[in-house]
Amino acid sequence: MKAIQPDLRREPMRYRLRAFFAKPANLILLLFIAVLAVLSLAPMVTMLTNMFKVHAGTEKKMLRLKAGSFTLNHFEMLFKDREWGKANFWTPLLNSLIVACGSGLLGILIGGTVAWFVTRSDLKCKKFISAVFVFPYMMPAWTLALFWTNMFQNSKVGGGVVGMVESLLGVCMPQWFVYGLFPMIVVIGLHYSPFAYLLIGGILKNMDATLEESATILKASRFTIIRRVTVPIIMPAVLSTFLLIFSSGFASYTVPVFLGSATRTFTLSTKMRALIQAGYEGQGYIIAFISILLGTLILGVNQYFTGKRKSFTTVTGKSGQVSLVKLKGANWPVSALLIVLTLFFAIMPLISFALESVIRQPGNYSPSNMTLTFWIGTEASAFETGMPNGILMNGTMWSGLARQVGLALAVALVVGTCGMLIGYACVRRRGSFLSKAVENLAFFPYLMPAMAFGTIYLAVATSASFKWMYGSFFLLGLVAAVKFLPFASRSGVNSMMQISPEIEEAATIFGVGWVTRMARILFPIQKSAIISGYLLPVINVMREVALFTLLVPYPRYLLTTMLFSFNETGYAQYGSAVTLLIIVIIIAINSLVNKLTGASFDKGIGG
Amino acid sequence: MKRLLAVALVLVLVFSAVLTAHAESVQDALEKAAKMTNEELYAKAKEEFAAGAQLNFYSTTSFAEKAAANFMKAYPDLDGKVIYAEIDDGETYTKLTNQIGSGVKDSPDMALVQNGPDLKVNLLEDELSYNYFPEALKDVVPEAYQEPTVVTFINSLMIYNNKEGSVGVNNVWQLVEEDWKGRVFFKDPTNETVNLNFLIMLTSPEWTEKMEKAYEARYGKAWASDEFESASYEWIDGFLKNVNYTFTSASKIATGIASGAAGNMGIFVFSKLRKVAEEDRANLTVLQFENDVDCFSGFMYNVYATVCSDTDCPYACALFINWLLSEEGFAGEKSWNSSQGYYSPNTTIGKPEGLEDQAYVYWDGKLVFEDLEYIDGLGAAYTDVYRFINVRVSK
Repeated sequence: MKAIQPDLRREPMRYRLRAFFAKPANLILLLFIAVLAVLSLAPMVTMLTNMFKVHAGTEKKMLRLKAGSFTLNHFEMLFKDREWGKANFWTPLLNSLIVACGSGLLGILIGGTVAWFVTRSDLKCKKFISAVFVFPYMMPAWTLALFWTNMFQNSKVGGGVVGMVESLLGVCMPQWFVYGLFPMIVVIGLHYSPFAYLLIGGILKNMDATLEESATILKASRFTIIRRVTVPIIMPAVLSTFLLIFSSGFASYTVPVFLGSATRTFTLSTKMRALIQAGYEGQGYIIAFISILLGTLILGVNQYFTGKRKSFTTVTGKSGQVSLVKLKGANWPVSALLIVLTLFFAIMPLISFALESVIRQPGNYSPSNMTLTFWIGTEASAFETGMPNGILMNGTMWSGLARQVGLALAVALVVGTCGMLIGYACVRRRGSFLSKAVENLAFFPYLMPAMAFGTIYLAVATSASFKWMYGSFFLLGLVAAVKFLPFASRSGVNSMMQISPEIEEAATIFGVGWVTRMARILFPIQKSAIISGYLLPVINVMREVALFTLLVPYPRYLLTTMLFSFNETGYAQYGSAVTLLIIVIIIAINSLVNKLTGASFDKGIGG
Repeated sequence: MKRLLAVALVLVLVFSAVLTAHAESVQDALEKAAKMTNEELYAKAKEEFAAGAQLNFYSTTSFAEKAAANFMKAYPDLDGKVIYAEIDDGETYTKLTNQIGSGVKDSPDMALVQNGPDLKVNLLEDELSYNYFPEALKDVVPEAYQEPTVVTFINSLMIYNNKEGSVGVNNVWQLVEEDWKGRVFFKDPTNETVNLNFLIMLTSPEWTEKMEKAYEARYGKAWASDEFESASYEWIDGFLKNVNYTFTSASKIATGIASGAAGNMGIFVFSKLRKVAEEDRANLTVLQFENDVDCFSGFMYNVYATVCSDTDCPYACALFINWLLSEEGFAGEKSWNSSQGYYSPNTTIGKPEGLEDQAYVYWDGKLVFEDLEYIDGLGAAYTDVYRFINVRVSK
């Protein structure tokens, strides 16, 4: 028998491979590279090809070409036809940029001001203001938009329907205040101002007070200190916050729909959907692609500023005791103003939706006009309003709610687990190519506006090979899982970073298997962070509209798309009732997260 | 390797044969169904449902939900198996072309859709759906409404808020004048294809001639322009400049005009008056019932029934379409005929007494009727009209 000669040159590689695959972290990273490349990059390719394809429907009818044929017509219409391009691309682009800039500035102004008062002054009722101020961030942005119209619509603008302000105070606001770019900026700015509050507040709270104290000793005025010391220190955080709000404002879909339709104020997101809905899919995909490019650019700039901030904060050295600015006589008026404003935007929407869901005749808030028909009406009483029953008695609503909750739980399970595994693997293999690749791939969907991301998956699901996915629950789950993975993977990385590898190594020496190590050591140590990782996607899914609107089989499939359809088609009371229901569910989930993890949005800042 | 290839080829052939057989069987079933009585169809539908099928149908009109409920009461063995889902007009064909044949659970078996030209181009021509019309009704439904099968006509009328008396409109050209700016409400035609089709119909030779006559009647001179291709284009341009888009749906326009400012007018679906709170109903006047308008006072469009090519319950679909075309289906309790603004193509069904409405024939000549053949025959010219409208709506 011939002796087998081992190939010595190959041995080291074999051992290297064996050693590589012996580490669960490497296997996890390889698996996620493959999965994420397929789920986030491959759909992009499908979308790109769809920009050059004739689609069934209007395009086919218009071009008289077979569906699926190659065409450059979509580009020609959008960029060569000046009048069409202006109406369908350039004006919406300009509007998106105005809304993004305006809401970024407003968010920082409001959030930054409140952050300064709470962290750097002796303001009264700090705890209360801090807790209530973050409330609008928890509510979906569109609820504020609906609230705005409920409050300010009046007999002098739009269709002349009376809103709460006119009904109660007799004041009529002008059209630009009620519909169009201004309210979009205010609503998005207000929605994200808690975000600015948390980021800027965090810096202000931890800022080295000795710098300001030194300036005071050198007899610098309060204004000079703010201008020359405080502002430069918080500037990177401010710029970073601005860019994040800018990118969210730019991508916003629901707010422009509710506040812009009346005045034909389109943004890129609303135009994207309008074009797809009118059968101009190719042009919709082009706009989606451009939105993604812009989103990537904005986030790239943000990464640059975030990087700068890191180097900035190392200069500050040891923190001292922060000396609070005494507001003296202005304290109570400022505190009262902040309390009133925060209450107005946190509590009033709930009251407004509750009221709007029980009035029969719009604009008439007298008790005689109130009814519970829209909540608990039966066939006899509710049918005339267009629905067979009130929403609590309606099978379609319960199905929509069940699907939404089911989707939220399924997505949370997948995203939470993946986020934790990615966190574990990336931290264990920190610095390696695989680790960087997975972290970046997992973060990639964050760069894409939700509407554009939904559009990409629409392109995939309408292609011949993937038609089986179209309109399915699976597709909604898939798209939501990929879209919400960035938060979970970042939180997974952050929580795993806090665990020293020695703990796991000690267990490995004792021969403890990987699964046991994860379940008995790593999970219990980072329990609260991991629970947050599972529960936060639940909130995201429960309030998402833009991501799902193009992918649901029909509008009343999910609770949020049903609500959107109610508001678009005129079931105002049902819309308000469902909105209230969604807010209550989100608040309940949020309280649960707080209770289980001990974390809250404003933790560490509020007084 | 050869054997493998052979097996693969056989599998592909068998698979396509199965698919073809399935497509043929739906078409065959519908042909057979057209000759059957309702009792025979009921028996077949019961068999289909016993085999696990259920009838999922999409509809752009919410009344279909009530029609389905009545249908299940009339055929109790099908109870709980006829599932309605409302679908937005704008995305009807994107959804249907992608869902038919996808095999996704609960994808539609049939649909009640508007916009006949799109139905023809997107579904019927590509055999994604089939037409079904029962032979028993051939004598009572005019031939023009048998293919594709029309199940109801719906009209959109000029209706105004009368709190300060009559608006005194008797000629459509008044609506493009300065004092109507922001006071006339109309749903975005690029989002609602029947509104778009109404404007496109105006550009037809027949309506262009009528528009020119109305122009002359209003201004005492013949229509002439260097800017616009025809009187209709000029009217569309002026009309869209005056339109107020505050309300995004017909229901919102109805309730909004009723509770809003005096003198506002909308062109919206007549049946939506049912959504208006009782206290506000008296605030609304249908212009046509006040006086004739030169040259139209609204428009009429069709809702079609079509059966998806991948349905597993073609007989149940046929029975349901029979029901929608019958007196008990169309004029049953709280169904289409109980409301203003719905008209059956079945000439034996008239509007009931006591409704502020008239029979279908009354509206002929007073409204712009959607003509599938005209719009479909526009070909490439469709793009020009659409572009003309789109850039004016988006401004």
